[in-house]
Amino acid sequence: MKVDSYRIVLTGLGGQGLVSLLQILGNALKIEGYKVMTSETHGLSQRGGKVTCFLSFGNKLLAPIPMIGTADMIIALEESTILDVLNFAKPDKSTNLIISTYEKHEIEKDYPSLEYLLDALYEISENIYFIPAHEVAVKSLGNLKTMNIVILGYILKFLPIKRDVIETAIKENFLGKRFEMNLKALSEGQKLISKNF
Amino acid sequence: MNYNKIVSGKAGTEKFFLGNEAIVRGAIESGIDIYTFYPGTPSSEVGENFMEIFREAGMRWVEYSINEKVAIEVAGAAYARGAKAMVGMKNVGLNVASDPLFALATTRPKNENSAMVILVADDPQQYSSAVEMDSRYFLKIFKIPALEPSNPQECLEFTKEAFNISKELKLPVILRTVTMISHARSNVVIGEIKTSGIEENFDLSKEVNVASRVYFLELKEDQIYNRLKRALEMSENSSLNRIVNENSKNPYDLGIITSGVSYSYTNEALDFFELEAPILKIGFINPLPERKIAEFLRNFKQIFVIEENDTFLETQILAIAQKNRFNVKIHGKDPFSYSKENTLLPMVGELNPTKVALALVKVLNLKPRIDLRQINKKYNLMARQAILCAGCPHRATGYALQKAIKKIKLKTGKDIYFYQDIGCYTLLALPPFSFANVKYCMGSSIALAQGVARTSVSLNIAIIGDGTFFHSGIPALINGIYNNTPILVLLLDNGWIGMTGQQPNPGSDTRYYKEGSTKEAINLEDFLHGTGANISTINHYEKDDEKYISNLTKLIFEKGVDVIENRKLNVILIRDECIQKTIKREAPTIRYVNPELCNNCGLCYNKLMCPAIDSKEEFAFIDRNLCLGCGICEEICPNNAIEKEEPK
Ligand SMILES: Cc1ncc(C[n+]2csc(CCOP(=O)(O)OP(=O)(O)O)c2C)c(N)n1
Ligand code: SF4
Ligand code: SF4
Repeated sequence: MKVDSYRIVLTGLGGQGLVSLLQILGNALKIEGYKVMTSETHGLSQRGGKVTCFLSFGNKLLAPIPMIGTADMIIALEESTILDVLNFAKPDKSTNLIISTYEKHEIEKDYPSLEYLLDALYEISENIYFIPAHEVAVKSLGNLKTMNIVILGYILKFLPIKRDVIETAIKENFLGKRFEMNLKALSEGQKLISKNF
Repeated sequence: MNYNKIVSGKAGTEKFFLGNEAIVRGAIESGIDIYTFYPGTPSSEVGENFMEIFREAGMRWVEYSINEKVAIEVAGAAYARGAKAMVGMKNVGLNVASDPLFALATTRPKNENSAMVILVADDPQQYSSAVEMDSRYFLKIFKIPALEPSNPQECLEFTKEAFNISKELKLPVILRTVTMISHARSNVVIGEIKTSGIEENFDLSKEVNVASRVYFLELKEDQIYNRLKRALEMSENSSLNRIVNENSKNPYDLGIITSGVSYSYTNEALDFFELEAPILKIGFINPLPERKIAEFLRNFKQIFVIEENDTFLETQILAIAQKNRFNVKIHGKDPFSYSKENTLLPMVGELNPTKVALALVKVLNLKPRIDLRQINKKYNLMARQAILCAGCPHRATGYALQKAIKKIKLKTGKDIYFYQDIGCYTLLALPPFSFANVKYCMGSSIALAQGVARTSVSLNIAIIGDGTFFHSGIPALINGIYNNTPILVLLLDNGWIGMTGQQPNPGSDTRYYKEGSTKEAINLEDFLHGTGANISTINHYEKDDEKYISNLTKLIFEKGVDVIENRKLNVILIRDECIQKTIKREAPTIRYVNPELCNNCGLCYNKLMCPAIDSKEEFAFIDRNLCLGCGICEEICPNNAIEKEEPK
């Protein structure tokens, strides 16, 4: 599989490991021979608020922010945050929506209802995947923080990245014990691929 | 973080670098001797990387300077003496550094090796800034050359070019980036690392401290009519200013002029419409290549100038078109009209490909294959604001302050106003605390409080962090002490520069940061006592004081009343470490809620609002994945329902 151009939007909350996910994914795609462009978020925008990052790759260098209506994949590490970036989905409903079912509620704020969310999503895409990444992360790995890598394992299904390449990329990001744990998280995520959501 | 990757690797290999990392690599490939900086998003990673690798890379010196003014002075004198020097800051940092930069820009080092690059990282959309500031007009005021990269690879190349230009012209060169370039990560092909060309002998005569007015005016003439003129020639001939897709055709007779990150947005939008247009990409943004621009304008009926924020390019291009009497329609922001209706691109906020595409639709009357307006749907989102970390010491301060001011009001009947500064504690301006009446920029709070204290009988409280106090709060405090102005200063000493990523400041514990072993920490308490002011200190570093909140509340109450009743300036030094730094050394003692004892009063989740605490139907609940173990909820719980988890 060789890809001309592919655009991914990633969203979630500060502290969920969005930037690590982005770095590993981008590095792996770079090793696979693509021109990769990502935009990371640092600083205040990470203090618990919503974070959106982008990753584009292909045979030429793309912009650090894509156009609305052009994303091939949208990943949300927290369920409700997907609503912030649905405008990036393609109008032909082909965009893969990868949604972690983790919900972070806030005191005295209405969390979007599941009904509202599903209505919005089905109108936008025919390829929706709800992934219980937090449950896997906590139950199988005992660490909520590995949720991002569980998702990474799952999305490999759509991307031109070999297993040994992604391992190399993870190794460049995490050392020692954290490497081992994240490798496990990756495998747990890959196991989810055979399940249907 | 893997810093080694910056220095390792053979020339010609490809790395996956952040724009900011590519800048560091570019500087090392230029034989840089010294880098000085003050952290600020989105520029901070440049300094952090230099700090890790500078000895290995053979550089003479790297420092976190106390502020941008000092940083540019340290680097500036090194430049005068023959070093290849670089200084880094965020956009507003340039305001602080601007005073010395005037003189620095005009002087002309005599040493062959002298070169100086000034990194200024703008933050359109003010993601992490108190104001949205486009630094480019400063280039006209300082009269210095500037380059603007449009991707990480160019970050590396333009840094090298900036050093070359500066070395040749003996003018400092600004390297201007924006958040989306500094924080973009991409494939970067590296070159050869160069060793320093610095010499032990140098000529500093008449360089740094020139007292003669006449001499300085002569230097200014040389700066404008000689050095800038040569810079203009360089800009005209530079491959950094080049026409992309020169031979492409479009039915609209349209040419585009753009620079930096806007160049990539332009390409994305053109791709979307499957449209091609010649693009004059400006990388050498000051001085602008007048001839090259004129030659480009000549070829088109319509020109679209695409730039973010201010109309730095557009106003100059309009002038060039007028001077040459070209009959070309120049589209952009119509800078002289100040009209929101006339502008095709916003002057406020970040640009993106969608905004460029919508503007193209307008200019060319395009019928896009998908209706952009329709995709741009609004959803009912859950708003989330940035909040202090779980376990942040500022939350404890906010909680105590809230209680204390109620008591002060009750006792004295006086109004109370708050002056915020720039740091994580700025978030105390948001609910549930809402402590903010006026806020300007770093270091302002203590002076702001004085302005109102001098013109009213209210109690005025300045809230400032240790990092900001060192940066620029000290003169304002001395002003208040000397004038005997009755204000209350809360100095929130969390030991680090929390907001930009826990960098050290002169008060930081030297055991806990790289290079700390080479430093001499300044004891903030001793320093304050030296001023002779009323200083009280409260210490929560050990986090073992079960009455911390009530002691702090009492202290603020007493000192607040003292300010009002005895018209005395008071400083309370609140020492409580940034929890993000503490947890890097020791595992936190996580708290849990005992459901048997919790009566769901909501104090911990509504009033303290720690993000690790949520409310389940009948009781409060602490998410053990989020708690960082500050213990404040345990102290404030009236039912003693919050307890320590036994360490596993
Ligand atoms: C002139 C200027 N330089 C740099 C910055 C970036 N910046 C924002 S807050 C901050 C320092 C905050 O440190 P401190 O006062 O100790 O507060 P903390 O975040 O640790 O609570 C810095 C450097 C800025 N806003 N303005
Ligand atoms: S839950 Fe309690 S102990 Fe844990 S971080 Fe929040 S306030 Fe501190
Ligand atoms: S980084 Fe430190 S000072 Fe800033 S919010 Fe987090 S704990 Fe508080």
